[in-house]
Amino acid sequence: MPVSWPARVTAASSGSREGAVLGELPPGSEASTVPPAASGDSDPCPTLKPGAKSNCIIVSARQRGNPILKFVRNIPWEFGEIVPDYVLGQSTCALFLSLRYHNLNPNYIHERLQLLGKTYAVQVLLVQVDVKDPHQALKELAKMCILADCTLILAWSPEEAGRYLETYKAYEQKPADLLKEKVDQDFLSIVTDCLTSVKSVNKTDALSLLSTFGVSHLLPIRVQTGPCHC
Amino acid sequence: SPVGMGGEALPPPFLLHENQVFLDLFHQDGLVICARGLGIDRILLRFLRLYCEPASLVLVLNTSPAEEEYFIDQLRSDGVVHLPRRVTNEITSNCRYEVYTQGGVLFATSRILVVDFLTDRIPSNLITGILVYKAHRIIESCQEAFILRLFRQKNKNGFIKAFTDNAIAFHTGFCHVERVMRNLFVRKLYLWPRFHIAVNSFLEKHKPEVVEIHVSMTPAMLTIQTSILDILNVCLRELKRYNPALEVEDLSLENAIGKPFDKTIRHYLDPLWHQLGAKTKSLVQDLKILRTLLQYLTQYDCVTFLNLVESLKATEKAFGQNSGWLFLDSSTSMFVNARARVYRISDDKISKKSKVSEKMDIKERKELKRELVLESNPKWEALREVLKEIESENKNSEDLGGPGQVLICASDDRTCAQLREYIIAGAEALLMRLYNKTFGKDERAGEEWIKDRKAVKSKGNARSDKGPQAKKAKVEASSKQNKIMKKQDLTLTQMMGKTEEENIEEEMEGYKELSSSEEISIEETKPEDFHLNLASDAYYGIFKTPLTIIHPLQGCSDPYALTRVLHEVEPRYVVLYDAELTFVRQLEIYKASKPGKPLRVYFLIYGGSTEEQRYLTVLRKEKEAFEKLIREKASMVIPEEREGRDETNLDLVRDSTSATVSTDTRKAGGQEQKSVQQTIIVDMREFRSELPSLIHRRGIDIEPVTLEVGDYILTPDICIERKSISDLIGSLNNGRLYSQCISMSRYYKRPILLIEFDPSKSFSLTSRGSLHQEISSNDITSKLTLLTLHFPRLRILWCPSPHATAELFEELKQNRSQPDAAIAMAITADSEIVPESDKYNPGSKDFLLKIPGVNAKNCHVLMNHIKSISELVTLSQDKLSEILGNAVNAKQLYDFIHKSYAEAISQGKTKR
Repeated sequence: MPVSWPARVTAASSGSREGAVLGELPPGSEASTVPPAASGDSDPCPTLKPGAKSNCIIVSARQRGNPILKFVRNIPWEFGEIVPDYVLGQSTCALFLSLRYHNLNPNYIHERLQLLGKTYAVQVLLVQVDVKDPHQALKELAKMCILADCTLILAWSPEEAGRYLETYKAYEQKPADLLKEKVDQDFLSIVTDCLTSVKSVNKTDALSLLSTFGVSHLLPIRVQTGPCHC
Repeated sequence: SPVGMGGEALPPPFLLHENQVFLDLFHQDGLVICARGLGIDRILLRFLRLYCEPASLVLVLNTSPAEEEYFIDQLRSDGVVHLPRRVTNEITSNCRYEVYTQGGVLFATSRILVVDFLTDRIPSNLITGILVYKAHRIIESCQEAFILRLFRQKNKNGFIKAFTDNAIAFHTGFCHVERVMRNLFVRKLYLWPRFHIAVNSFLEKHKPEVVEIHVSMTPAMLTIQTSILDILNVCLRELKRYNPALEVEDLSLENAIGKPFDKTIRHYLDPLWHQLGAKTKSLVQDLKILRTLLQYLTQYDCVTFLNLVESLKATEKAFGQNSGWLFLDSSTSMFVNARARVYRISDDKISKKSKVSEKMDIKERKELKRELVLESNPKWEALREVLKEIESENKNSEDLGGPGQVLICASDDRTCAQLREYIIAGAEALLMRLYNKTFGKDERAGEEWIKDRKAVKSKGNARSDKGPQAKKAKVEASSKQNKIMKKQDLTLTQMMGKTEEENIEEEMEGYKELSSSEEISIEETKPEDFHLNLASDAYYGIFKTPLTIIHPLQGCSDPYALTRVLHEVEPRYVVLYDAELTFVRQLEIYKASKPGKPLRVYFLIYGGSTEEQRYLTVLRKEKEAFEKLIREKASMVIPEEREGRDETNLDLVRDSTSATVSTDTRKAGGQEQKSVQQTIIVDMREFRSELPSLIHRRGIDIEPVTLEVGDYILTPDICIERKSISDLIGSLNNGRLYSQCISMSRYYKRPILLIEFDPSKSFSLTSRGSLHQEISSNDITSKLTLLTLHFPRLRILWCPSPHATAELFEELKQNRSQPDAAIAMAITADSEIVPESDKYNPGSKDFLLKIPGVNAKNCHVLMNHIKSISELVTLSQDKLSEILGNAVNAKQLYDFIHKSYAEAISQGKTKR
């Protein structure tokens, strides 16, 4: 099978790196996926330890020849010796599974998941739906993912699968703003939104509170706790 | 009375065959399939009348609010005392038991009935029976089937009687009628086609007088029709070439011109829509456009048609996408002829003297660029002839008891409005107005044309079509001035509805006086707008004496509008400008129910047109559907226990092993299942979907409660939010899913997002070729990625259908404990139970996150530094900057906290 990977990446060059990558993984805590020391939204992870920081998707040598790599075009990638198939960030990894392959080797993914354990906060099982009647297999995989703490993602074409890999890497540091309700960016809307997040305050309340007190006078109303004081 | 609108309260007499349908069904439960328009509503009404008494409790399923209103109105006018009531969400759950025990007939929202059956709020043992309307819709997974199943499980004696007049619906699919009957728990099938011997011989005796007028299309129209059919054929051939799997029979030209074609084709293509090439998709679109063209050709005037054609061409140019058919020879011919019906570009070289020929479309003026032709619709002329005939007949109608009223029916509102304008103002005025509205720039041509026409008129050319126009010349002038006023009047009438009855009654007084003055001739009648106290407000009035109105056949908000009007107006003459099967049959029934009263029906139909073909196709389809049903009925084997009145009907057994009908994939877990009854807690709002019914079918108990967090609680740990694809997209965009995920993750160990696909659509999130070159944050896949990154514990289930979901739910529950409804209900977005995993107070975190300058990344850092939010106020901007590690964020935060209300207001004002 002809291999057409870019010549810039060699197994040797990435070999030294993968140990560090694995070493950097956060313990399987539930805490946010965001690296602890990142400072600004616009700042792309400036304080990561050298070696852990990578702008590349790291690809396991097992994935050599996988057509989805042709569609990872917006993000650089390189081979590395890693346990999962793809490392998509400090706390994100992915295993790839083609349903056609799965139907022939139903035990394969089981073994891979066992080997992987629970080392990354987000472990994606990226499944390419490339058989005619996928439902039985998908049902088993769905159950497996719940047991193994994996996020099941389905793609229907190599393009789509490649795009998921790209997006996971590209959005590694992205805040969730895109997913949140859009609040008008003027002061009143923000204050209202803010105050109504408190139980039993509605929009009218918020406005009347605000007209009576300023923001700085409002805040002490809710004497609240920092960490570990709940 | 000439008005016939008093409404004497006599129950309508029953026709011979109706008696038989009623008695059959009364004696044994079953499904009645009756021909369209043959009065299935009258039969249901008869059953309703029978059970409108406190001693019985009868539920009616599958009626729309408009239909319920009609039935209640009818029963009221028949003098029924204990009228049916509606059980909707306006009746609170505590009051519903009382409503049920008061008995009588109840129209109930299906969602409410399901919940009340599940929670035993409805006294199932007291139910006399259930009447199911539009029974062809009772497929296995629907709410109503769920209700019937719950009913039969709890009540073995009550009746189930089902009604439908849609035989064609049973034509598709394998053993459709048998499956529907199984869902209905009925053993008997009663078929009443129009060709049933009892129906046929009875209606033959009471035939109305029918005048069929085959109008011929103009040569231009004919050429256009031929061109469109040619193009349709080409498109169909292409479609077949690209999709050999499509059934050839469904792709015939005859089917392609019919209304349901779109549905048929989407039914085949939707499941594989994401794999289809752009070519196929655009062909499907083209077929739709071509069918619209065909319909416009015969339905509306030449200007409207040309406008449609031109706009098609313009869009094609503007968007640069074209499917090729615009370049076919046929399409050129269509364009040329469509234009030729409206205007012609005069050839400067033509030196013919402008002799006035009788045919208006070959008048020429040298100096004009565009000469208007404005071809009139042949059907319009035919309609005028018919009206003239009626008028002259009404003049000597003493032996019939005075002039007869006239009801004109056309397919839609637009046609009705056009016809009214045509009858009152004449073809020229109508076409001229349309022309000026659409292609207004070329006013000179318009003026010239008018001058021309006047000249023709003054010369006294007595062509048949000009006769009435000339007579009405004086009326025309005034009506033109009033035109705008009239339009307003009309909308006012429509708004008034029935509330302003006084007003209308006054008007009626005046109207009676007018009618007593015995002025019949049309010339003297001023065509001013008038209001009638009719049950429908969709009509257009034309003349008061004899009452002549136009009513649309379709598109009324009240499906019974035309029926009501028919019975109130009691016309002697009905003119069908467009033919529609249901109404034609309704006229037959109407005639038979009023023996001795004369009724003449005029059919106006373009001979050899697609319009005629469409009508015939519908007739043939229904006949075939009935023939198939008769064959199926003959070979049907119905199990003894079908009705489920004993314990042997397997559909009612809720053991999960038997419910897994199709593929039995269950594993050894089945052995221990007897021990605990499985339960799933379901949010009330989820009862609009079919999933609860399917879960229940698998032998799992359902507890309907109102949940604030999640839709389905499977185990104490598993909480599921169900999203259809459109919900998923919507809630990813508006932020709802994000907050739902926050609450789910906060209160449950295993929060799950269930993405449920529509089984009739493609099982895919993105369609082929829709992927952009670059990552776009607008893509649903991008947002899903971001969501999973921010909620590492969130699991995703992808289910191709509700059936698959129910199966998966059952398996996910295996060997896990049952959820507790009380706990699930107690969890609200604000509840204070905080799982140990989250060491920060969620309330203050939410609060902080909404303040500018604070984001998911620095939030925890900030919370580590302050004990309470109030402490935030005491911090300097520098200190904040130190904590947040970012001066910009710190400034945003500081400014926000320390802004005064007055400042904010003034700022807000300048902004707005």
